[in-house]
Amino acid sequence: DETQVSSYIMANTLKPYLDAVRSTLTAAMCLENFASQQVERHNKPEVEMGCDPELLMKPVVIARNAQERVLVEASVNSLRVSIGIKQADEIEVILCKKFVRFLNQRAENFFIMRRTPVEGYSISFLITNAHTESFMKHKLVDFLIQFMQDIDKEISELKLRVNARARIVAQSFLGEFQ
Amino acid sequence: HAAQDFSCTTMAFRGRGRGRGGASAGGGDAAPAARKVADPNIQWLADTITCHAWNADKTKFAMCPNNTEVRIYTKSGDDWVVEQVLDEHDKVVTSIDWGANTNRIVTCGQDRNAYVWSFKNGVWKPTLVILRINRAATQVKWSPKEDKFAVASGAKCVSICYFEEDNDWWVSKHIRKHDSTVSDIAWHPGNVLLATASTDTKCRVFSTFIKGVDERPTQTPFGTKLPFGSLQGTYESAGWTHSCDWSPSGNQLVFVGHDSTITFIDLNNGAPGDFQILRVKELPFMRVKFLDETRAIAAGHSCYPVLFTNNGGTWEYTRNLDEKKGPAKKKASGTRAAFAMFQNKVTKGQDGGVANLDTKHKNSITSIQFGPGNNITTSALDGKVVFWQV
Repeated sequence: DETQVSSYIMANTLKPYLDAVRSTLTAAMCLENFASQQVERHNKPEVEMGCDPELLMKPVVIARNAQERVLVEASVNSLRVSIGIKQADEIEVILCKKFVRFLNQRAENFFIMRRTPVEGYSISFLITNAHTESFMKHKLVDFLIQFMQDIDKEISELKLRVNARARIVAQSFLGEFQ
Repeated sequence: HAAQDFSCTTMAFRGRGRGRGGASAGGGDAAPAARKVADPNIQWLADTITCHAWNADKTKFAMCPNNTEVRIYTKSGDDWVVEQVLDEHDKVVTSIDWGANTNRIVTCGQDRNAYVWSFKNGVWKPTLVILRINRAATQVKWSPKEDKFAVASGAKCVSICYFEEDNDWWVSKHIRKHDSTVSDIAWHPGNVLLATASTDTKCRVFSTFIKGVDERPTQTPFGTKLPFGSLQGTYESAGWTHSCDWSPSGNQLVFVGHDSTITFIDLNNGAPGDFQILRVKELPFMRVKFLDETRAIAAGHSCYPVLFTNNGGTWEYTRNLDEKKGPAKKKASGTRAAFAMFQNKVTKGQDGGVANLDTKHKNSITSIQFGPGNNITTSALDGKVVFWQV
């Protein structure tokens, strides 16, 4: 019953967590085309440059627990969303690292994905005003929320497959010795 | 398997069919035809529109489709078609203003240049303006008498430009005293005072009196002693101020901030004035304009214009101009909803329903102008110009 109650509580925190992330992202995604104040004729994502403090918003962390959290850093023309993925044991740590590496190497296809995650998080997205001009903002937010839900499912599925494969390999190997 | 799922979701959130990555595409092909939309009040003219401006009799308007060109549109039947393309800027044109009396267009862009265009022999000819700024220009506005214009820039200054007859060019004087990029400027009807909105979260009022061009102002809310560049008033906000405007009499000032507020300042009793701050539930406004002394329109990231009215001294949120009249769309329920949900899962790899925006504009509104008839027009980052009846 203890495990039942704690899993109920865990399930109960998912919706408010995702709702909080959704409203933060909707507000942070109000970006505009902003030419650089530092270099003439340049247009850079201010959240990555970090030169002018007045153009950056205070970073917000929305945490479900110590591991699962989202860092939203916004600025006048760009937004960086970093997601910390739940990694319960060592196998999940390895699987997460490999999976994120697979995605990061194909970051161009995702347009909004950052090639390296921000320090302390598993994966990061960089959304600029060029993205909000060509994509629809509410759909970008939907994508990020969906991504957060799916990646946990993917990693659990991968872990099950790893365990299943390990069992089959062990059985067929040790079967030789019977 | 995993990659497939994600590519499905990537396809789902793309607004158009074309892929886009990184910086937006340049000029490209000659002005393509407008995309057909059923409603004649909605003109879908490009992928993205940065700004637009109407001429004096509202028969033509100029707009920038988020590249280096400025396109002049004229009415053809029920639609608006491209008449001319003005291509002089090197980087995206951020602002256009069309002088009603003198029929001159002034444009400014992120290439830190501004050009004044005059219509001669059926063609628009540009004249370079010596702005002397070393960063992008963000906004340009003709003064009410059209003998000067102001250019806001990322160099944290505003250039006030006037024509010098001796050398036959436009020269500028700078107003500094800003701590960050100036995002918007608004001229007081008296042709001397200028309100500026900046990303340092303040709205300021300056004097732009130039000896030889202006006559000494007789009466303004800030007095009559107004040397050039003197700061007359500062109004604070909690977020970046995106836009400001004066009422037609010049006795009221309004500005909008990124903290989803709109601030009205009543200067009928002199400076600094009584202010009212309204906090709205919408996403932040990008532009605000006074319609007359008691009505103002603001529009921005929520993709619809909002009307504010002054009821006996108190400003209040009146209505959303894009509200749908009639019964609300019935929420899907039962077997249809379940079918739609599974179909979404298969085709787009998504669980939740992805609702479409039911506003006329599908992306942030970046410009509000007075259009033909009793209409105001808004242009947005979705490439549409929409006519609203007020």
